[in-house]
Amino acid sequence: MDINLDISLMIYIAAGGLILAGSAGIVLSTHLLRIIFAIALLEAGANLLLLLASYRDGTAVPIIVDDHIPAVMADPVPQALVLTSIVIGVGVLALALGLVIRVQRTYGTLDIRELRERMAEDIADDAGIGRPVSSHAPLPVQAPGVVGADANE
Amino acid sequence: MNNLLLLIALPLITAFLLPIIDRFSPLLARLAGPLVLLATSAIGIWNWTLLGEQAVVIQIGGFLPPLGIVFYVDRMALMFAIAVSAGTLLLWPDGAKDRLRQSTLSLILAAAGSGLALSGDLFNIYVFYELTAVVSYGLVVSKSNPSAFAATIRYLIISAFGAALVLCGIALVYQATGTLNLAQLAQLAPEKLDNPQGLVAFILMLIGFGVKAELFPVNTWVPEVYATAPTRVSALLAGVVSKLALIVIVRLLVLVFHQPEAQTVMLVLGILGVATGELAAWRARDFNRMLAYSSIGQLGIMFIAFSIPGQAGVFAGLAVALHHLIVKPAMFLLAERWNGSLANLAGAARSSPIAAVLFIVLSLSLVGVPPFPGFWAKLLVLVNLAEQAQPLYYLAGVVILAGATLEASYLFRVASSFYHVDKQQPLPSAPRTRDIMLASALTAGLVASIFVMSPLAEQLEGMAAQSSDVDYYIQTVNPVVLTGGQR
Repeated sequence: MDINLDISLMIYIAAGGLILAGSAGIVLSTHLLRIIFAIALLEAGANLLLLLASYRDGTAVPIIVDDHIPAVMADPVPQALVLTSIVIGVGVLALALGLVIRVQRTYGTLDIRELRERMAEDIADDAGIGRPVSSHAPLPVQAPGVVGADANE
Repeated sequence: MNNLLLLIALPLITAFLLPIIDRFSPLLARLAGPLVLLATSAIGIWNWTLLGEQAVVIQIGGFLPPLGIVFYVDRMALMFAIAVSAGTLLLWPDGAKDRLRQSTLSLILAAAGSGLALSGDLFNIYVFYELTAVVSYGLVVSKSNPSAFAATIRYLIISAFGAALVLCGIALVYQATGTLNLAQLAQLAPEKLDNPQGLVAFILMLIGFGVKAELFPVNTWVPEVYATAPTRVSALLAGVVSKLALIVIVRLLVLVFHQPEAQTVMLVLGILGVATGELAAWRARDFNRMLAYSSIGQLGIMFIAFSIPGQAGVFAGLAVALHHLIVKPAMFLLAERWNGSLANLAGAARSSPIAAVLFIVLSLSLVGVPPFPGFWAKLLVLVNLAEQAQPLYYLAGVVILAGATLEASYLFRVASSFYHVDKQQPLPSAPRTRDIMLASALTAGLVASIFVMSPLAEQLEGMAAQSSDVDYYIQTVNPVVLTGGQR
């Protein structure tokens, strides 16, 4: 049984799964914080995929210990790349969370659908044009008191 | 030639020292940024005169490729590096509040943009790309009103998604070839990347870098950000940053990914970008978003141009890119005071006749009316599309022509409303003198280039020939033929 091949295949599947979970979270989530977490998942999956490029069967860690150089070493370059990438991801996530706090304070909601509507309205108001209204929007409902007043007369 | 690295080092150092300088002397802090950008532009122009016909390779730290990072300086890369410095200098912030933060971020943008234009290593390009992205998040949120925060977080989400896609693409490329140096990738590509894995890697990197280049499915951030960001930041993003992302994609397409499917994907996405951008611009009712959608359309034209195989495609794309680099920031400069509803702009010619004339000249060039440079650029694209003699390229030509009709409609609709006389409506405010002067300088350059069109075209053609020559790139970076990576 080829155990090493299975391990590498399993980790490839794990990386693919993380990427899929992250992408699905970004596209399908409605809560802003869940989208940020999904970005973190996606970046973890991408980093894992990059790290898998350094995998070799039966190799040692690429570290020289006590002047003993391993005969066959794994590739150290992707590990350096992934370090850089993790740090970039941490910075971007920190900035994103700061923006989420600001959005919560100014809009009071973190629902991405409501945010899009209100942002569109704010942009239209700042530009001085009317709010975008669809011709398929339902007619405004009259207040019940008006009908009651008519009926009582 | 080594002093080209100052294009990255000087603005970075100055950016991080700026708060300390500001503590001691606010006047020096105010002057430091423009002086540094003036110096880097001068260094870039001086190196341009030294460059001549050969491309130059700068080995960072003296480490030889493919293990070390190289900067590949050919005329196209140097032109865009100079454009980054000059553009950031031209669009320098001058607001009173949070001037320090905007200056710092603009300097870092200049440094990262220069690195993006010059770099010859795939992961180095990714790092500079992320640096540009993070800095642009900070610049876009400058106005600190609620819609700016919402637009920025939406921009951040889609940009982070794109960056993760680029990382997956880089992972696939490294897994197949074992190297990240563009020259060695170009060498190994025909045997190792000419398969579905290579195509998937290209598509991932195309969509990832395409977020900044306003590519079709991932350009939903453009109208929101351009409407809520300060106009000079929109000008920087539309004019400079999008071209840098486009140049990165073009380098990958020309050097590494030679499959015809790669060009087909770019062509289809470009056609969709032109169609959606121009139609949306036609429907737009405020100035900033009209310019934003128009920018999407023009970048779609550039994607179509670069998807034409061979040197002709790079030549046509460079012509459109260079033209857009001058016209769009000039239009955004005029939009500083004119932002807001298009209906409010009626009669603007009376409050600022110069600005109205500038807008008309820029619109004529953007639509593609002879003798302006925009006509020659679009003609080049259309002629090369027709020469391909394939149905998809013909469709692209038809879409570009239809897009030009729509452009003429919405741009001249606005221009004619400038001269509309309506005694009751108050006059729109005139653009500031500084903006008008800068826009006139850009427009004067545009008009002056009409008279030197022939030499300019020869220069661009030489640039395109040099950049699309894969063997020349490989020979310049590593004169000794290298063996492939360990696989």
